[in-house]
Amino acid sequence: MDLDLNAPHSMGTTIIGVTYDGGVVLGADSRTSTGMYVANRASDKITQLTDNVYLCRSGSAADSQIVSDYVRHFLHQHTIQQGQPATVKVAANLIRLLAYGNKNMLQTGMIVGGWDKYEGGKIYGVPLGGTIVEQPFAIGGSGSSYLYGFFDQAWKDGMTKDEAEKLVVKAVSLAIARDGASGGVVRTVTINSEGVTRNFYAGDTLPLWHEELEPQNSLLDILSSAPIEPMRT
Amino acid sequence: MAHKQQRFDPYDMNGGTCVAIAGADYCVIAADTRMSTGYSILTRDYSKLCKLADKCIMASGGFQADVKALQKALSAKHLIYQHQHGKQVSCPAMGQLLSNTLYYKRFFPYYAFNVLGGLDNEGKGCVYTYDAVGSYERVGYSAQGSGSTLIMPVLDNQLKSPSPLLLPAVDAVTPLLEAEAIDLVKDVFASATERDIYTGDRLEIMVVNAAGTRTEYVELRKD
Amino acid sequence: MAQSVIEVPSKGGFSFDLCVRNDMLAKKGVQLPSYRKTGTTIVGLVYKDGVVLGADTRATEGSIVCDKNCEKIHYMAPNIYCCGAGTAADTEAVTDMVSSQLNLHRYATGRQSRVVTALTLLKTHLFSYQGQVSAALVLGGVDVTGPHLHTIYPHGSTDSLPYATMGSGSLAAMAMFESQYREGMTREEGIHLVSEAIRSGIFNDLGSGSNVDVCVITKDGTEYLRNHMLPNPRTYVSTRGFSFAKGQTEVLSTKIKQLKEKVVEVAVEGADAMEE
Repeated sequence: MDLDLNAPHSMGTTIIGVTYDGGVVLGADSRTSTGMYVANRASDKITQLTDNVYLCRSGSAADSQIVSDYVRHFLHQHTIQQGQPATVKVAANLIRLLAYGNKNMLQTGMIVGGWDKYEGGKIYGVPLGGTIVEQPFAIGGSGSSYLYGFFDQAWKDGMTKDEAEKLVVKAVSLAIARDGASGGVVRTVTINSEGVTRNFYAGDTLPLWHEELEPQNSLLDILSSAPIEPMRT
Repeated sequence: MAHKQQRFDPYDMNGGTCVAIAGADYCVIAADTRMSTGYSILTRDYSKLCKLADKCIMASGGFQADVKALQKALSAKHLIYQHQHGKQVSCPAMGQLLSNTLYYKRFFPYYAFNVLGGLDNEGKGCVYTYDAVGSYERVGYSAQGSGSTLIMPVLDNQLKSPSPLLLPAVDAVTPLLEAEAIDLVKDVFASATERDIYTGDRLEIMVVNAAGTRTEYVELRKD
Repeated sequence: MAQSVIEVPSKGGFSFDLCVRNDMLAKKGVQLPSYRKTGTTIVGLVYKDGVVLGADTRATEGSIVCDKNCEKIHYMAPNIYCCGAGTAADTEAVTDMVSSQLNLHRYATGRQSRVVTALTLLKTHLFSYQGQVSAALVLGGVDVTGPHLHTIYPHGSTDSLPYATMGSGSLAAMAMFESQYREGMTREEGIHLVSEAIRSGIFNDLGSGSNVDVCVITKDGTEYLRNHMLPNPRTYVSTRGFSFAKGQTEVLSTKIKQLKEKVVEVAVEGADAMEE
């Protein structure tokens, strides 16, 4: 078995940003891996940039951390110079500036989400090459390929906050079920005019999808419960 | 990210160190019992010694699958020899057979590092040392395997033997008593275990003399 | 070339098909990649009133142990220590450098160093070398904001965790943490679990070995328990001992050269004695 522990830290990830009536919900799984080894099973991929803007990170952990550190620094300067909170668009533009200018050095895709008094809740996708796209919803990371169809079907204009949050948790749990590089817990961040709410959904409380098994603490639990059905084809 | 081309590699290195010392009327053959790959220990209790005949023991390090195949081939040939001649093969004969068996696979070698120890037809201790493709030599003592580079200089210093090129031939056996040779083997293995990561766990020592063979064990570091 | 494109079994003899190609590749400077790995087990955990760090003490060069009792828990600040895995020269250099920067920062601010400061300095340095500086670190400390534990990878990514392991023995050590770590452990429980995690690395990972070093950091001070455990004593010592007869090295020629006479200066009474 080759775990390849020397591989750079990367977040084979599921990240999601969804707008709703009055704000945005960001969501992410919590798995960080080096090759086949899960280096962190409870990481926080939704990073705070300012009071009202958050960033979902995917790809190389080192690259996305550096980008978010720089952007946070610039946004704080900007906030002080302007005497008012930076807008989501400004944050997205700063990220693009770094992502585009260093595109041959960086292996990271990001989703910016936040709320400001001028434009309300906004989601911007900043994929690999350094484009920015304003979107009603954005999905990213290795797990996102399992979610395009689901979002085409499930996303509705003008959802309530609860509907949006339910959608995000459901989507991340679906991706965790299918994508080996995503896993752990689901973290969400909801941003609106009221402020910011962080939520945490433990791995063993997530819904079970097709052919998923109940979580077990030990093999003994399985053995002492129901007799095991032989596998059939 | 570019993926590197994966090439099939038929060999592995499972480590292990072997030592044999020949005396006037005895032979000591020893090896550690650790089997490992990369940075992992596969087992702490794997014997590298193989009794090929009554007075002939082979100790082998290297690739376990090749060592196993080699032991099987030699045992099979020895069985046929017994049926044909109705006696045990002598240690010098087995020495030649091992060399031939190794050279037979000259271009796809057994990845095995062997020392063969036992008593010759006069009852004198004998040690044969090999490379992977069958070059061999009768010596007074030898070390093979992962820790051999650490042990060999110590044996050279303690048991300096005459050159095999001398004429008339000078006996290569060591002047040590049996107990002294065993003590030396235990000590050099304890030392090699300190510095070689592929040597450790336990030392298995087989002593061959006129009375027969006996085995003893000494614990080694387990880190 | 009229040769068949399909590879047919040879009718005997050797195949030297690839020799020319390999020769050409060798002349072009291609060689099989060889890796120099440096094995280690380093760990850390957060307990009730602080942080416990742990490390083994083996340093290797290939399959040879080059130091049986080295120190892998490096000083960063009085309240911050850092375990290093990877290339020894890199971990030593990078921790020394950041340690001196923290010291200067303390002179400038007159305040205790913070763990995040050390973390940021380390990660920006490592990131700027794009993984070429191979230092994998477990950084732990207690500052005005409480106890902190971080891991830092050679590429510059960082994690904040309640318990962490690094190095070639990290899987063996993490197995202990994943099965036995609890929130709010006592100091004794913390030291015990860290020691068990390191021992797991020492015995199951060939890159790690020898002794257990532990470092406990609380808001009231730091305790460095060097060689907290010595689980690998030498197993056998020769009863005879060794003697080395004289004349093991052959003397080819001998030449003795007389040194010049030594001139001694005597201080004159009353004059000032010369000082060094």
